[in-house]
Amino acid sequence: MNIAIAALGFGIVTAAILSLGAVGFTLQYGVTNVLNLAIAGVMSGAEYVSLEINRHGANIWLTIAVGAVFGAVASYALNRFIYMPFIRRGVRAFAMVIISLAVWTIIQYVVLAIVGPGYSSLRVPVTHTYSLGAIRITGTQISVVLIAIVALLALEATLRFTLFGKAIRATATNAPLARASGVNVGRVIDLTWLISGVFSGIAGVVIAITVSSFSYSTAGDFLVPLIAAAILGGVGRPLGAMVGALIVGVVSEVGAALTNPSYKNVIAFAMLGIVLVVRPSGLFPERVQRKDVVL
Amino acid sequence: MNVVIFYVTLILVYFAVDAMACAGLSLEFGVTGVVNFAYIVFQAAGAYTAAVLTLGPASPSGFQQYIGGAHWPFPLPLIAAAVVGALLSLVVAVLGVRRLRTDYLAIVLLVAALIATTVATNQDGLVGGAAGLALVPHPLVALFGNNAAGLSYNVFFAGFSLLLCALCFLIVHRVTDSPFGRRLRALRENEAAAMAQGFSPFRLQASVLMMGGAMAGLSGGVLVEYVTAWAPSGWLYPETFVLFTALIVGGLGNNWGALVGALVVPTGIGEGIQYLPHFGSPTFTVSVQWIVIGLLPLLFLWFRPQGLIPERHRRFAPAGEKKGRQLVQGWLRPRTSSTQIGELSTSKDARP
Repeated sequence: MNIAIAALGFGIVTAAILSLGAVGFTLQYGVTNVLNLAIAGVMSGAEYVSLEINRHGANIWLTIAVGAVFGAVASYALNRFIYMPFIRRGVRAFAMVIISLAVWTIIQYVVLAIVGPGYSSLRVPVTHTYSLGAIRITGTQISVVLIAIVALLALEATLRFTLFGKAIRATATNAPLARASGVNVGRVIDLTWLISGVFSGIAGVVIAITVSSFSYSTAGDFLVPLIAAAILGGVGRPLGAMVGALIVGVVSEVGAALTNPSYKNVIAFAMLGIVLVVRPSGLFPERVQRKDVVL
Repeated sequence: MNVVIFYVTLILVYFAVDAMACAGLSLEFGVTGVVNFAYIVFQAAGAYTAAVLTLGPASPSGFQQYIGGAHWPFPLPLIAAAVVGALLSLVVAVLGVRRLRTDYLAIVLLVAALIATTVATNQDGLVGGAAGLALVPHPLVALFGNNAAGLSYNVFFAGFSLLLCALCFLIVHRVTDSPFGRRLRALRENEAAAMAQGFSPFRLQASVLMMGGAMAGLSGGVLVEYVTAWAPSGWLYPETFVLFTALIVGGLGNNWGALVGALVVPTGIGEGIQYLPHFGSPTFTVSVQWIVIGLLPLLFLWFRPQGLIPERHRRFAPAGEKKGRQLVQGWLRPRTSSTQIGELSTSKDARP
């Protein structure tokens, strides 16, 4: 039982990482309807950019900021130079899955070709370990959780209380209607990719901080749990993705602790499979019908 | 000289296996439009079935542990491999295809492939764990004086696998040329219209998945009987992506395209990459291989969506007029208005 409680701590940290990625994924998927598997590529890129920055002596906060900027630029470029041209050429919506899988494959192996198969790790200052019953959590892990919470609250506030947030929600709900009402849908989509990129960039750096060492394929290991979290919470709903991430993170860590550690991913995968088959619209379904790829 | 013939037979067997797999996937994806991202799992299931049914029961003290071992005579393990592939596809069809939208189905199948690999790797007693199965006896080797390494046996095996490959293509050809094949294409082009004609998308998709799954299983069985070993590292999910690339390169929805795709992508690039000069890190060559395989679908969808060999438009000309020779522009990237794309991406939602 102690193991399960100890795993709860890991689960919350995993959930924090997943929620950052899942929120970026779900926001962008909800607005543009492009299933972007290459988000793992953006995360992977952010990991190695942060590694390079970290080597030159930048502190953790600067590293995260640079990772976020890198993610935003990469994600915007991905849409502007690859996805958007294909959508304009009339590629069928689900064929975008193949395109994003191709892009992810390319990024993953370009990274492998550059950095090689080895593992690297960030130099993170050693922090105090706090104990709460059987749960042990380091100062770094606590800051990761705090970063996730602050970032998500900031996004939620933006979506809820600003005019721009309103425009994003309007586009996600009904793009043609939003356009007809004077929303600049093209700009909303660009900004959505930027925001999604900021979140995936932060997620990448946070992965690099949290895991003891990472390789070219580490970000890919987070992809399926991340999508599971996003779909569990209902596509296009950042708060839902947060809850989804909490469920996926905690259940997979605790489940793995109780059964077999190598089944951590299987539990996350199985949850995604079951959710998709039993309740395809997620725990908190969208109020609107699915729509077309948004141009 | 013998070495050359040996190498040629090896490549022919690999090509036959890839082509069989491409034939099945072409039926599922190229003709019907089902995005089966777990296709390689059916090949793996066929391979494990054939291996286990040839190896005989696992001895408790043996170095490999698996379930369901038996000593079945030659053609039975291969037939069983095809049957297992088909039955597994039926399960996928019932659980997934019936309920899910295309992009969600793609994710679920991708996830299923990941689960299958993880379970096969970590359950030691199931199919040999991470090390997999080895020392699978060659079929019919007794006819060649037990000399499986001999040239004549390899020539025989290459011929045998090419024969099976031809059989698969014959079946696919008969299917796609029949009224049934027309229904499949109708389903691919416009599901709602096909339903309005009274066809059940589920039935069509399920039967196509079973045929494709059987071919995948058979290809796995043939491969494992030739290479005599099979392990989870041989069927990671990107291998399915290789086959999708093959179809997009060769040309979707036509059988010659699938054949050419199998020749160019898995066989051509897989073998050709070994002739690249080695430099940089030890993983450089494999990186280049995957980057090329990732770039090909992008380049083809952009510059030549119809693939190397375009699908022919089937047209029923009125009497006296010449029969249609029009070529389809590649259905994955049709020049349609966005509303039609929207219909396609949301058609599953329209169902009650």
